[in-house]
Amino acid sequence: MKTATRNGFQTGITFGVIVVTMFLIGFTVIGAALVAKIFGTSVSSGSIPPLPFFVIFISLVGLWNGATAARRPLTGADEFKPALVAGLLAGLVTGIFSAVVALVFGMLAANKIDVRTYLVAISPESIKMYLFGQDAVTGSLLSLVLLTVSSVAGSALAVTLRTNAKVRGFFQKAAESYTNAIHSERAIKLRNNPSARYAFLALVAAALIILPRTWGGYWNYVLGTVGIYIILGLGLNIITGWAGQLVIGYVAFFAVGAYTFALLTAPAPHHLMWNFWLALILGVLAAGISGLLIGLPILNLRGDYLAIVTLGAAEIVRILLKSDLMTPYTAGPRGIRDIGGPTLFGRSFTSDVDFMYLIIIAVLVVSFLAYRLQNSRTGKAWVAVNQDETVARATGINAYTSKLLALALSAAIAGLAGALFASRNQFTGPDDHQLMVAINVICLVIVGGIGNIPGVFLGAFALKGLPEVLREIENYRMLVFGILLIVMMRLRPEGFLPAKRPALEKNTPPSGQEA
Amino acid sequence: MMLKIDNLNVHYGAIHALQGISFELEKGEIVALIGANGAGKSTTLNTISGILRPREGSVLFQGQPIHEMPPQEIVRKGIVHVPEGRKIFPRMTVWENLEMGAYTQSDRATINRDIESAFERFSRLKERRNQVSGTLSGGEQQMLAIARGLMAHPTLLLLDEPSMGLSPILVEQIFDIIQDINEQGTSILLVEQNAQMALAIADRAYVLETGKIVMQGSGDELLENPSVIEAYLGGH
Repeated sequence: MKTATRNGFQTGITFGVIVVTMFLIGFTVIGAALVAKIFGTSVSSGSIPPLPFFVIFISLVGLWNGATAARRPLTGADEFKPALVAGLLAGLVTGIFSAVVALVFGMLAANKIDVRTYLVAISPESIKMYLFGQDAVTGSLLSLVLLTVSSVAGSALAVTLRTNAKVRGFFQKAAESYTNAIHSERAIKLRNNPSARYAFLALVAAALIILPRTWGGYWNYVLGTVGIYIILGLGLNIITGWAGQLVIGYVAFFAVGAYTFALLTAPAPHHLMWNFWLALILGVLAAGISGLLIGLPILNLRGDYLAIVTLGAAEIVRILLKSDLMTPYTAGPRGIRDIGGPTLFGRSFTSDVDFMYLIIIAVLVVSFLAYRLQNSRTGKAWVAVNQDETVARATGINAYTSKLLALALSAAIAGLAGALFASRNQFTGPDDHQLMVAINVICLVIVGGIGNIPGVFLGAFALKGLPEVLREIENYRMLVFGILLIVMMRLRPEGFLPAKRPALEKNTPPSGQEA
Repeated sequence: MMLKIDNLNVHYGAIHALQGISFELEKGEIVALIGANGAGKSTTLNTISGILRPREGSVLFQGQPIHEMPPQEIVRKGIVHVPEGRKIFPRMTVWENLEMGAYTQSDRATINRDIESAFERFSRLKERRNQVSGTLSGGEQQMLAIARGLMAHPTLLLLDEPSMGLSPILVEQIFDIIQDINEQGTSILLVEQNAQMALAIADRAYVLETGKIVMQGSGDELLENPSVIEAYLGGH
């Protein structure tokens, strides 16, 4: 019972702080809007969603609160009672937090004091919603009751799900039948059957060909961005994931690629108007060479010098692009407009569908390259240098050139992404190349699973795709990223899809003593 | 003469770690370097394998100066260094570690054959071939480190404290393996704190003290030398 009380109290305080913070930064409105979206009701940004959705949102928070409070370890064979106590306590504590804040802001609103001077996110409407449309006292009491009831319900639900044999049996059975289905002979046969594999590949190919034509310009834009970030992630993964050298200012190479491409194909400031493909190759080369130049003096040092130097390089590039000094050459802060699109046999392909195809092809090419590198001698040398540089050198690996090659390849891939990005937008300017781009790429690689190729895909979809779909949370993107990273580090420190080093033994005759 | 070290001087910043060391190693020999912590034993090995650069002096391997070569070249010449402290690639499997040891080899079939023969010598590793090597026991990790060193077909193997932190039985095993490797034709330069065991298997040995060689002789001579017994063998 003591554990239950402590659990309940601690969880209650945590969730109390969470609820109050959500209210203070205006996230309660966003949360309700997200719930509304799930129910198919669209809420335009800036307006207040209908009250029932807010009730559901707060109840969900309460349920989560109770479920967390009822977590193990709770004493006793019968877990039900202590769990309910923990849930009740957690609900009450959170409820009191919420009620006090609701009361204070309700009073302020009733006296016509506008708090927006100090807390920009709190509008009178959002206070009114937080009070369920009631006056300050009734509203805060309602808040207390709702949070308590939902928390108790949450703890009851959690214990039921955990202890009820039927429920547990159901989940176990589901998990079992899933594993059985995957490992069944038929499934294995199907997977090893070449024609089935080709059929699957054909299906994927067909989807990749048909979908960009049918789903419209908005999705082509969103997924095109995701694709460009996949390319960036795959590139950064080489130097940071495999070779283990942190690169913070990865956006510098992106900028070099984008600007090289843009200057070569745009009518102003130089009117070169080169061919798309030639400019693309030169953009990639220029970025690769810039990576080489940065790496040459740095990479024979151990430690995180590369992180600091690239951070500096990214800022220098951006500031130079904005400066008056470079304006005659790079068009300055206004950026470069009317950047060329792809041409083939004299025809130009610049529709959103064409660009989606181009990006898909680029993603496929870069992924193929990454897979080949991962299993190559070079790839293994990177991993070896990453794990122990001294031993790697003692086994005959040239750590310096190995890291240099990794950086140059990473930079070249970033250049490719930059050139594609500039060409698709037909515009590039200094603001496209802020450090935030690089931070995003680092985040997506870490969240997906550092060193893992499918992880990069997952990370890019989660961090670049979801925010585009969930426009409601746009202003809170950094907050959500931060929370996501903390949660990731706590729960899955190696990312959603941790890197599994491929079994290199497949080249050898089978042995009777597999581990 | 397989290895000839002449007047080797190595500095770590202001610290003069090796102060004019000279010694040699004939083909087929086991030569031991013994001495206390900080005497310069590991520094000597690191300099021979190219990880450190001498400020003065030379390292001749089969008559050729190698003290200005990068480590990867030296490995290709046939000197393989097994660093101290069971240095393996902890997140790679046993198999992958061995494969990395063969980094300078290019023929796939030879590599596979070498791995199989490594498994013959180290049967414990065979059982754990697909295990992530960071989860191996200390003795297994040391064996893996040695096995990985052998993958590059060294003519001279530099072993740094192979007995460090191992139980007496494992130490015996490791020294048996070292002798066995030597009998099959690989010369060995062995750095050890366990002077008793090292001198017992060494053809010749040198005693290092604060960066200088203070004594030398055959293994048996040094085992009976009173000052060696006093300082390194715990005798009275």
